[in-house]
Amino acid sequence: MLSTPPLALYAHFPWCVQKCPYCDFNSHKAPEQIQEQRYIDALLEDLALDVPDHVNRPLVSIFMGGGTPSLFSPDSIARLLEEIKARLPVSPDLEVTLEANPGTIEHGKFAAYRAAGVNRVSLGAQSFDTEQLTKLGRIHGSADIALAVEEIRSAGIENFNLDLMYGLSGQTREAALADLRQAIALAPTHISHYQLTLEPGTPFFHRPPELPDDDHCYAMQVECQALLADAGYQQYEVSAYAQAGRQSVHNRNYWQFGDYLGLGAGAHGKLTHNGQILRTERQKQPRQYLGSPVAGRLVLHQAVAPEELPFEFMLNALRLRSGFAPELFESRTGLCWSSIQPQLTQARARGLLEIDRGRVFPTELGRRFLNDLIALFLGG
Amino acid sequence: MKLIRNFSIIAHVDHGKSTLADRFIQSCGGLDAREMENQVLDSMDLERERGITIKAQSVMLKYKAKDGQIYQLNMIDTPGHVDFSYEVSRSLAACDGALLVVDAAQGVEAQSVANCYTALDQGLEVVPVINKIDLPSAEPARVIKEIEEIIGIDAEDAVLVSAKTGLGVPELLEEIVRRIPAPKGDPDAPLQALIIDSWFDSYVGVVSLVRVMNGSLKVGEKIRVWSSGRNYQVDKLGRFTPKSLACSELATGEVGFVIAGIKEIDGAPVGDTITLESRQCSAALEGFKQIQPRVFAGLFTVNSDDYEAFRDALAKLKLNDSALQYQPEVSAALGFGFRCGFLGLLHMDIVQERLEREYNLDLITSAPTVVYEILLTDGTTIYVDNPAKLPASNVTAELREPIIIANILVPPEYVGAVLKLCNDKRGRQKKMLYLGNQVSLQYELPMADVVLDFFDRLKSVSRGYASFDYEFSHFEAAPMVKLDILINADKVDALSIIVHRDMAYQRGRELVDKMRELIPRQMFEVAVQAAIGVNVVARANVKALRKNVLAKCYGGDLSRKRKLLEKQKEGKKRMKQVGSVEIPQEAFLAVLQIGREK
Repeated sequence: MLSTPPLALYAHFPWCVQKCPYCDFNSHKAPEQIQEQRYIDALLEDLALDVPDHVNRPLVSIFMGGGTPSLFSPDSIARLLEEIKARLPVSPDLEVTLEANPGTIEHGKFAAYRAAGVNRVSLGAQSFDTEQLTKLGRIHGSADIALAVEEIRSAGIENFNLDLMYGLSGQTREAALADLRQAIALAPTHISHYQLTLEPGTPFFHRPPELPDDDHCYAMQVECQALLADAGYQQYEVSAYAQAGRQSVHNRNYWQFGDYLGLGAGAHGKLTHNGQILRTERQKQPRQYLGSPVAGRLVLHQAVAPEELPFEFMLNALRLRSGFAPELFESRTGLCWSSIQPQLTQARARGLLEIDRGRVFPTELGRRFLNDLIALFLGG
Repeated sequence: MKLIRNFSIIAHVDHGKSTLADRFIQSCGGLDAREMENQVLDSMDLERERGITIKAQSVMLKYKAKDGQIYQLNMIDTPGHVDFSYEVSRSLAACDGALLVVDAAQGVEAQSVANCYTALDQGLEVVPVINKIDLPSAEPARVIKEIEEIIGIDAEDAVLVSAKTGLGVPELLEEIVRRIPAPKGDPDAPLQALIIDSWFDSYVGVVSLVRVMNGSLKVGEKIRVWSSGRNYQVDKLGRFTPKSLACSELATGEVGFVIAGIKEIDGAPVGDTITLESRQCSAALEGFKQIQPRVFAGLFTVNSDDYEAFRDALAKLKLNDSALQYQPEVSAALGFGFRCGFLGLLHMDIVQERLEREYNLDLITSAPTVVYEILLTDGTTIYVDNPAKLPASNVTAELREPIIIANILVPPEYVGAVLKLCNDKRGRQKKMLYLGNQVSLQYELPMADVVLDFFDRLKSVSRGYASFDYEFSHFEAAPMVKLDILINADKVDALSIIVHRDMAYQRGRELVDKMRELIPRQMFEVAVQAAIGVNVVARANVKALRKNVLAKCYGGDLSRKRKLLEKQKEGKKRMKQVGSVEIPQEAFLAVLQIGREK
């Protein structure tokens, strides 16, 4: 029943020029001099530790996220990608994504990344409004975004994503739409359009900015969705919109409960091996991470209990508008479809879930109340 | 027996009873400093948190008096809140004397007056004690005069103490020995022991606190519980010092605990008599009069699977809370539960909290109500403790509401505000007397208004200086109507209340507005209506929530997301699903939060 799913690779780059007050990712203010060599070495050590259990599994995607991976030189990125490819087979249409901050792009850099093997860029634009960017603690201005896009294009990278936020402090619906129009005008292949969330442990959480209320945010969402659809961006996940054929291979793999290696400080991995689903996690603080021997960095290496699998699967798979086929649930979790019948029945009775022509997917209500839907699959 | 003194401390909340008790324990070496946690007697978590005493507790102290003799002082604690006057009379029944502790700055408070009368009625020697004399604002002379004027007992030789500093405490211990009489009783008569309190221990079964009136009780003897006629063998006897200390015998006049392998929850009811199987007494002790609960509410488990556990918990609680009454109730909205009778709202709160904490239950309480007397057209009289059971108007000849007599003591500067409050509550003034620095007011008030929020409002209009005590007086015809609450057009029986016709519209409006605040936004819009019969008198909508979605999820730390959703789910577990609407616990008690400010 449990079969080996596609394998992706995530490498984390934990440094930023400065930490943004809304960000809850594992990112840290960069030191004067980042020890690029040493960090890439560490990533490769992590890889060497993980690979033996997964040899011969072709990679479908490599994602370099952060933090700000674009703080690293193209040479370092090239070395990392070469070594990965030397250790693992890759699928012919391998997606290689690099996250970039529009404030860290020098002329010519993307061409060098391209040459290193990067074929997709995810650019953290967030907003085109100078005042908003300042409030968000971003180091770039709106002009930097356009410049970065120009660099990406001229480097020959056609496939790129823009991250954009809405529901910002003092933002009107018109302002949110104006932001989105500017993003669309740059013609990215993919737009990640998020509502700003106050995450625990962030400065925004402790001193929250005054945000538009739920009704306003929802109105923004609805109008932005319409605008995106009109511009040819189809929503395929809660916050992900793509042109035809340009959905993110890497993120889809998460949402389809595929496997991924997690390399680097604070990186999480999910791996199917020996009939079990394992979760891995590496030491979070860059200094500790770099100071530990490779095996000591692995702070979590644990099988997921079968009773937790339905929730973990649904947490991911129900984010997809098109949902999933019951067979995917069975092959990715190793559980019987019938084992979750009570929850499915309840979800349908509450109008949150539909099962039609071999697909299981959230209804319109279920997409809006996804947390309530997923919570039905929580154990206990 | 000559060396035993059984006494209680009567004091208003905050007048320093627990501090004084602690001081006695310390003076008599009951606990060393390390064991001396502040306020030992208030042992229940809840009592400590609320700073009040709910249940009777007892402590035996060894005191070496100036006459060289060692006395056994049994101090039996009494609750200090208006809701618990019944518990006070229970404790006093085991005593031969009482200390009336009055704050030297605040003076006499109404409940102390009422409790003091109970003590005098039971023939106890009352020793007035003026506490907190170390305070700069202390006015012992004025307070002594107040005691004489308001209570009418001689207070000239009142003992002046500061429980906080220990000043006057040695003198007070001497006075206890000198003024409180030794217990009377016949050591050779058949055993008669009064059960002052009982509680259920999951290891040993029922533990009872008793006062031996006649005869004596030894370990190994076979006892008989009078009311049930059941016999048990005494496994263990002991006293609280306040540590529990085993002994082989409890003699005439002594107070201590009995463990006799009683496994039935109701095996040793409070107020019952224990005698010996082999040598029975001829009659039961008088015990205590059964107290009538005044406030009724339905209690329901949030989770219907917990019903059995709930029934069991109520039975255990009832064992040492004889004022609590309950019987099964079925609510269309809330399912199976129990209609419970309480002494007052604080009692209700405490019972609910104890059930939730000690028995790990999640409970929903329906809107509390008082008991109404109803004369039916066929001439019969019935009593209704549940708005849902109010008979139809065409078979009702007369609806009568309970009226209480309230005795209020208040400093003159707040009299105006208190009079206004009483008038707002449809009160009728019976008496008003200026006594020393306080004014004594007597009012007739509708009980429904008193039990719901009178106490809190009285405190707020008098900045905490007014005190009051009340007793049931009579039933009186009143134009009351039933106000129903509808959620998404379905009547929720547990939310119905009975209100005065003149107040119905206003109450309906307030209730609906309050409900709108308390019901969280959910997937669908929720319509809340208040109606009298078929007439909707108020309406409010809880707007639908737009969405509940995590914006981001990228294979990272799932445990945080799981926790967030678990927390959301946990929050919902505390709510009751009524139809398709989730209603939080507090919303059922919205009625208690309205009508306060106009």
